[in-house]
Amino acid sequence: MVKDPVCGMDIDPQSAFARREHMGQTFYFCSQNCVDQFDADPHKYAIAGSIATGFNPDLPLARVELPIVGLQKTDRAQALEAALKAVPGVRAAKVNIGSSVAFVEYEAPTTTREALTRAVKSAGYHVGGAQTRIGIADLHCASCVKFIEDGLKATPGVLDATVNVGTQEATIEYLPEKTSLPQLRHAIEEAGYKTGPAASEEPVDKQRAEHEREYRRLMSKFGLAAIISIPVLIAAYPKFLPIIRDWPMETLRLAWGVSAILTLPVLFYSGGHFFSGAWAALKHRSANMNTLVALGTSAAWLYSTLAVLLPSIFPEGTREPFYDVVAVVIALVVLGQALELRAKGRTSEAIKNLMGLQAKTARVIRDEQEIDLPVEEVLVGDIVLVRPGDKVPVDGELIEGQSAVDESMITGESLPVSKKVGDEVIGATLNKTGAFKFRATKVGKDTALAQIVKLVQDAQNSKAPIARLADTVSGYFVPIVMILAVLTFVIWFDFGPQPQLVFALVTSVTVLIIACPCALGLATPMSLMVGIGKGAENGILIRSGEALQTAHQIKTVVLDKTGTITKGKPELTDVIVTGDWKQADLLRLAASVERSSEHPLADAIVEGAKARQLTLVEPTAFEAVPGHGVIATVEGRRVVLGNLKMMQREASTLGDLEAQAAHLANDGKTPMYVTIDGQAAGIVAVADTVKEDSREAIAALHHMGIEVVMITGDNQRTAQAIARQVGVDRVLAEVLPEDKAHNVHLLQAEGKKVAMVGDGINDAPALAQADVGLAIGTGTDVAIEASDITLIKGSLKGVVTAIEVSRATLRNIKQNLVGAFIYNTLGVPVAMGALYPFFGILLSPLLAGAAMAFSSVTVVSNANRLRTFKPRFSAK
Amino acid sequence: MTPSQITITIVGIALSLFIAWFFWFTPKAKTQAAIGASGAQEVAVTVKGGYTPDLIVVKAGQPVRLRFTRQESSACSEMVLFPDFNQSAKLPEGQEVNVEFTPDKPGEYGFQCQMGMLRGKIIVEG
Repeated sequence: MVKDPVCGMDIDPQSAFARREHMGQTFYFCSQNCVDQFDADPHKYAIAGSIATGFNPDLPLARVELPIVGLQKTDRAQALEAALKAVPGVRAAKVNIGSSVAFVEYEAPTTTREALTRAVKSAGYHVGGAQTRIGIADLHCASCVKFIEDGLKATPGVLDATVNVGTQEATIEYLPEKTSLPQLRHAIEEAGYKTGPAASEEPVDKQRAEHEREYRRLMSKFGLAAIISIPVLIAAYPKFLPIIRDWPMETLRLAWGVSAILTLPVLFYSGGHFFSGAWAALKHRSANMNTLVALGTSAAWLYSTLAVLLPSIFPEGTREPFYDVVAVVIALVVLGQALELRAKGRTSEAIKNLMGLQAKTARVIRDEQEIDLPVEEVLVGDIVLVRPGDKVPVDGELIEGQSAVDESMITGESLPVSKKVGDEVIGATLNKTGAFKFRATKVGKDTALAQIVKLVQDAQNSKAPIARLADTVSGYFVPIVMILAVLTFVIWFDFGPQPQLVFALVTSVTVLIIACPCALGLATPMSLMVGIGKGAENGILIRSGEALQTAHQIKTVVLDKTGTITKGKPELTDVIVTGDWKQADLLRLAASVERSSEHPLADAIVEGAKARQLTLVEPTAFEAVPGHGVIATVEGRRVVLGNLKMMQREASTLGDLEAQAAHLANDGKTPMYVTIDGQAAGIVAVADTVKEDSREAIAALHHMGIEVVMITGDNQRTAQAIARQVGVDRVLAEVLPEDKAHNVHLLQAEGKKVAMVGDGINDAPALAQADVGLAIGTGTDVAIEASDITLIKGSLKGVVTAIEVSRATLRNIKQNLVGAFIYNTLGVPVAMGALYPFFGILLSPLLAGAAMAFSSVTVVSNANRLRTFKPRFSAK
Repeated sequence: MTPSQITITIVGIALSLFIAWFFWFTPKAKTQAAIGASGAQEVAVTVKGGYTPDLIVVKAGQPVRLRFTRQESSACSEMVLFPDFNQSAKLPEGQEVNVEFTPDKPGEYGFQCQMGMLRGKIIVEG
């Protein structure tokens, strides 16, 4: 006997009214009514056991480990545990804050993963399942979407699945340890569909393939046009060739007839895209380059054909055709387009280089087995093994081992960075010395590298304000050229020399062909593409064309002190001793006391002692006196560390230590007196130290004619001390954090373009206020919202490079724009015959075609010159 | 002047006026976005020598989803840019690509290909 899942009735499978298969189980039903209800929502009944009883004693207990995203170390586990336990069917829930995992034991069919996911969400977190996209071929019907989604959701380990008909993709969230990509693909194939890689995951490769195809297509179009051009040219200029010169008119007319037929495939195959493009534009009541080429060549062909077929309607001397114009102009313009495509491909090389950094495979440990996987299949939560010389495949957190990692490709930092347990590792960086294991935290589109690529791509395709004029002009350009061509025809026909019809036609066709709106349109985007890519290669992420353009006008750079000029973390700088004390002993005792202290300055002393390989001991009788210092017993000695007030309280005699302390304070350091067994023994001083290269970078900014201003909340004395060290012109000290933006505004009121450099979090308002906000980021933190430019490497040299890139790119854009404007403003009048009355010079339409084709190639090639840009401070 | 010259002159001037009228002074057809299944204002745009439709009317404050399909191989139209929304999208040939954004302020916002040869406009109404 079996139970009907809907009504709960016991029935004999043999005599059941109907049966259904769902999730690998067979269900039997007593009546049509029950089948209908089941069919309406099979999932509900399949998982719920019998609703009649509400509980199925045969249910096995299932266990799942859910990776939780958003758990902070300070959060309490109970809230989430309570939320999970509140889900019906959950027997036990335990949350481990440290590893961010929830262990849940539940009755498998009563509770669904979705219900658990919802509970986690309601508690304010979310389940960190892996996400993947799988392409589905030939997906057309909307009803199949639900079918595939259900199939996927019924696969163990799947948290959620959505299918998009538009993109032909399934987006699946799942638990990597419960299922694998082949199983997910299998679930889709079960539903009767073929799977493939998701299209949205591979745009660059696809574009490259498309470019390659388009290039070959253009080259074959060019090939045909070029071959046909040869006989057509021969027939067009018979007087230059020995034998043909002697052909009688009848033979020549026949050759022209052949030319007419030969040029048809050139028009409709080689130049077909001009006509279809022109027609499409015409339907939108707009016109573009295609319109001009199509008009020019078809006018030449129609005139020529009329002249050959009905010579009698034309006056003497105007009966010769211009088929050469048709064939040669199309050949040249198509060749220009092909070359332009090639050159364009190179402008996005920076992006390709970035994407090429990605590791291809990863060694992942699953079920205690090491397996090599394509990097796309690495999932959040996977343990990845990296050996020396390997690339780190994805972003993650180191959990075992240690090593030095070369992060220069992402951050521009040239020295390898040492990594220990708990440190963040970045995908695409190179492991140098040791082997280590890490837990993947970001994969696919979420990795730092993928985000950088996305950011750079978006910026490359944004607009620079400088392009506005060119944009406006190119909006009116083509119709104006068409009108000019008509007027040219009229003027030559009315006032030109004989044969007027020929002159009128040739000049107006030349006008149509020489005008090149492409050069205007390409001038800015191509340079931006290369310039922003160049920035990215040097660890500078420029968010938009506008930011890039403003950066070249910067006259004042405002630097936040803490974390920008300085390291932002106090360090031990001086140890001064009196009497017979040795520096090492004093520091050892002082640091041992500070071990128990939670003051940030204490950390600096402890770290300083460790850096000098001193062995610290555990202090006893530790006492912190707020506002004064600390007291403890170390190795039987009573050690006191503190400020002047502490020393007065202890009634210690300081001697010349007080003067030395004042001197240290003048340098912006924080001195702390040390007394041992009641005797003043010396001073330890800590300070937020200046980054090694800050001084050099500020000098370079000065050299570029830029005023450097330091802004800080510190007192005048400390601020001046740092300013002296790095050579800053102007100091704005004792500025409250909320007043930084106002101070930037005051500098702007002096009429200068102001750049603000800060850390992106505390300085966000000031960054937004500045004309250009540069955020200093570190590591994977690339998407800093408030900034226009992000310097991935935490060095001020990036500011110099950013301004250099901006200046070089703007220079390049200006060259392009000036070139394109001059070309068109000179080219069009010359084509109209402006030089003819004075010098008798008339431009051949063939020459016009060549000029037009190569003007846009020139623009793109000039943009490519930017690729040789070398910053003053090389990133590599 | 000969009669043919007079004819050509008149035809030429008429043609010039016609070109100016045709490209600049004719009202263009607008397409109103419809609310799709997702709740966004949706319009399907075909990219072939231009954007069809190229004048799209949407309401402010509601998400807009433009579904672009490029039906040509010419590299000019391989990207569509929305400079005012800092959005851009690659348009692989024959594949539908969604561009989504929410216009806040009424006004006219252009979209275009990379070099500005193909253009369209979004009219955001309050």
